[in-house]
Amino acid sequence: MVVQKKHKVIVFSTPSCPWCRRVKEYLRQNQIMFKDVDVSRNRTAAMDMVRRTGQQGVPVVLIDNRPIVGFNKPMINKLLNIK
Amino acid sequence: MLDLKLNKSDTVGRQKEKEFDVVILGGGPAGLTTAIYSSRALLRTLIIEEGIIGGEAASTELIENYPGFPDGVPGMDLTDKMKEQAEKFRTEIVLSHTKSVNLKGGKKVIETDDGVFSAKTVVIATGSSPKNLNIPGEREFKGRGVSYCATCDAPFFKDKDIAVIGAGSSGVQEGLYLLKFVKSIKLVEFLPNMTAEKILQERIKKYNNVEFFLNHKLKSIDGKQMVEDITVEERVTGEEKILPASGVFIYVGLKPNTELFDKQLELDKYGFVVTDKDLRTSEEGVFAAGDVRAKALRQVATAVGDGAIAAFSAKEYIEEKSSTD
Repeated sequence: MVVQKKHKVIVFSTPSCPWCRRVKEYLRQNQIMFKDVDVSRNRTAAMDMVRRTGQQGVPVVLIDNRPIVGFNKPMINKLLNIK
Repeated sequence: MLDLKLNKSDTVGRQKEKEFDVVILGGGPAGLTTAIYSSRALLRTLIIEEGIIGGEAASTELIENYPGFPDGVPGMDLTDKMKEQAEKFRTEIVLSHTKSVNLKGGKKVIETDDGVFSAKTVVIATGSSPKNLNIPGEREFKGRGVSYCATCDAPFFKDKDIAVIGAGSSGVQEGLYLLKFVKSIKLVEFLPNMTAEKILQERIKKYNNVEFFLNHKLKSIDGKQMVEDITVEERVTGEEKILPASGVFIYVGLKPNTELFDKQLELDKYGFVVTDKDLRTSEEGVFAAGDVRAKALRQVATAVGDGAIAAFSAKEYIEEKSSTD
């Protein structure tokens, strides 16, 4: 039996950001579980994201603590072994 | 629901080559409207979208000049409805990167990351993307103060002093949205006057925390880790000014997304696709609609008009072909 490595995935997003939605759709499509953090509602999370990633824009996807800026499909595929 | 649809699109992609009557490149308002009309003409229709369904319109916070919505409509809501409408009439959608297109001859071939598609007609609705200024600091600080999407990034600039570059309709509209978050805006415009719709100009002038720098050129964006200030030059006197700003939102016009076809279609000197009044391009069976087309006014209202015409012209073309073949 193959046991798949479980990745910790967090998406920082805002509700009105179309690329955020695209990232989340893509993850769902590939059956990847993730935590969605709405930075427009959660000020602390927003500041935490800036501190952890140096980014002031969304979407940012944190895969096992590694930040990926924007909808960078090749990088997401690589880190999550999506074929 | 959404997942199911995406999976369906995936299945389309995995098959070797699929044939369509109309393949639409681009899923913004022009492409979606083309799809609604061509699907209702019972033409087998596919939209191939590389980025997001809804295009640039989807990232507009509020669209106030599209008829039927007296209170305005969030761009994403409007384009979601257009997508729903296209899918209701059996338009297929594939979200994938287009690698190449061959627009010559009776069978057009489109190669994507998720499969090869062929079509009797192609409608180019790839739209346009925000232009970069290509000034020092712009690329280096992208995502660290420099943004092209207010609806995405505004919350990071709560109570901050920021700059908006460009006082056309996009710049002023997004500036008005940013005012819900930020402490102040420096609005920098290269031309001596704002070019935004008059109603937007009137609205933004009422804010006493907006400072206008008309006839000023943005020279650089500076800072250490994050953006701290910008340098502008007064275009008449040449005087340089350093203005503190922790965010810079850039709205300086659009560049057409036509790299894929620049050798195959006639483009104007700015790279927009040249069409006749029926939206035919220089290549038989290929039509263009929306922002990607050489025209005077780029709006959602004009994009949907284009979409309807392009679908009609594609239908006429297919019917004519099948009667002569």
